[in-house]
Amino acid sequence: MIEIIELLLFGTAIGGIFALIASGFSLIFGVSRILNFAHGVCFAVSAYSAIFLIKEFSLDVYLASLIGIAIAVLLGLVVYAITKPVRANAVMVIIVTLAFALLVERVILTSFGNRGMSLTPFVEGVQVIYENLRMAKMRLIAIPVAIALLLALDLFINKSMAGKRIQAVSQDLEASMLIGINVEWIFIITIAISSALAGFAGILYSQIFNIYPAMILRVLIYAFAIVILGGLGSIRGSILASFIVGYVFVATMKTLGTHWSEFVMLIVIVGILIAKPTGIFGVRE
Amino acid sequence: MKSKIAQLIALSVFLSLLPLFTPPAYLYIIGLGIVFAVIVASWDLIVGYAGQVNLGHTTFVGLGAYTAAILQVPSRIGMNLEIHPILSIILAGTFSAIVALGIGIVTLRLKGYYFSLVTAILPLVFMQKVFIWKDIFGGEEGFSIPVEKVAFAATIEKYYFALLFMFLSILFMLYISNSKLGIRFKAIRDSEELSESLGINVTYYKVLAVVISSFFAGMAGAIFVNYRHTVAPDLYDVPLMLLIILSAVIGGLGSLIGPLLMGLVIYLAKNWWLTFLKFGILNEEVILYAILIAIAILMPEGVYGRRIFLKQIIKKLQN
Repeated sequence: MIEIIELLLFGTAIGGIFALIASGFSLIFGVSRILNFAHGVCFAVSAYSAIFLIKEFSLDVYLASLIGIAIAVLLGLVVYAITKPVRANAVMVIIVTLAFALLVERVILTSFGNRGMSLTPFVEGVQVIYENLRMAKMRLIAIPVAIALLLALDLFINKSMAGKRIQAVSQDLEASMLIGINVEWIFIITIAISSALAGFAGILYSQIFNIYPAMILRVLIYAFAIVILGGLGSIRGSILASFIVGYVFVATMKTLGTHWSEFVMLIVIVGILIAKPTGIFGVRE
Repeated sequence: MKSKIAQLIALSVFLSLLPLFTPPAYLYIIGLGIVFAVIVASWDLIVGYAGQVNLGHTTFVGLGAYTAAILQVPSRIGMNLEIHPILSIILAGTFSAIVALGIGIVTLRLKGYYFSLVTAILPLVFMQKVFIWKDIFGGEEGFSIPVEKVAFAATIEKYYFALLFMFLSILFMLYISNSKLGIRFKAIRDSEELSESLGINVTYYKVLAVVISSFFAGMAGAIFVNYRHTVAPDLYDVPLMLLIILSAVIGGLGSLIGPLLMGLVIYLAKNWWLTFLKFGILNEEVILYAILIAIAILMPEGVYGRRIFLKQIIKKLQN
């Protein structure tokens, strides 16, 4: 029983972090039809920047995280700039973003090394929930933080004027241009928000696990599994799918070991593609 | 077509004369570059001709490499087999093709980005098997194949074997690209809907393209192993994938000869000419990735495409 509760709590925390990454990935794809293979860059760079700032300038962890997220947004804008000239050509977009991701990975590898690193948690210590049921406080805090951010994103997309413009562009680009929406601005806003979310996910992740340069690409496995499970381009589908993937991830980790998690993700993806390619929430484009 | 075969023969003759005035140490790395160039050309077959963006081509290279290595050192899985290295190379290609068939059937019947998304994560997934079954696959370092078990031991023999492999496989790929099959591939690349309405079985030809391309990738991986006498996870890894993409994009997608030539040049540049470059965070890989981004943005048709473009300008000027 205790193990199941632990698994559920831990899975929710991981699922929330995955949701922050995948919803941004899905948002960018929905609006600009860009498959952003450099999305993991924002995730890793914000964490590494915060770690660096705390170590070198002994900054406060909150301030360092804020600067880290700002750097993630800047990198998102770089991705926007380098994909702009080739946006019409899907192959070139994939190549450019993948090359950018590997370039950043090499730079991080040469400056920080291959060793796993972790960020000072916002709150340290272990919380005793019930007799033997203990969890690191940071893992528990990650749950409401991630859910609050996701709710804010959902409200922003569905209620605000800018969010409605984003929806309009993702439904029909030409028609949005015709009614006077500045499409380039919508692209920029979308990529900035998504990068900030991925940056925040990186901050949370590196307070719970170790982060290492290869995460830039590895995090894409989970993002892909989530967007295929939830249906490409659907944000609510992605968010729900994130939690399923989170539970699968934690269950795999506890039973088979971390090495197996990629294999299990592939099996999940292949299973969905065979059974229901539009994703379990059935969103059709 | 004829001019491409002539270019292939010219390149092969030039490469076959190289041993006359090149020391063996350089010959060794040029031979590896030749095998790599075949991998790049086989990637061009699926991406440049059939238009399906395969981001996990190294999966099939790595699968072929490990298949051949295990077949040639069967004691690692506790078996006692005696398989001729050439046969094991062909079996490696076949095994890669079978895996590609499975992946292709699942992903290529869907339109859109699914094939790219799934192939992108394949190398990362398959690489984990090396760490899970460490005793068999040797983990991070891989394992080596005893000299008496490999196809050829002397550098000069290996070099000519690689060259022969390149000549035959590129000849075959050129033949395919110009046959009815190749024309159907190109039709699918240019418009899937239109091809379907013409009665082309789109899924069948897309899967066939990935199977053929993976067969060559698997054989090339096996030859890599027989050439280096070791197998290691670097043959699966994403940096190798990006090196393939880099070469094909600079060479010009959909021309086979361009990617082949650029594959050789880029491999030699990365492993030989640029290895002295190291200033802080700048190293040869960072420079190559930056070049790739610049080329993709500035001239997406590649160098080989540029050449034809230049010819057209010259013709216009003459008129």
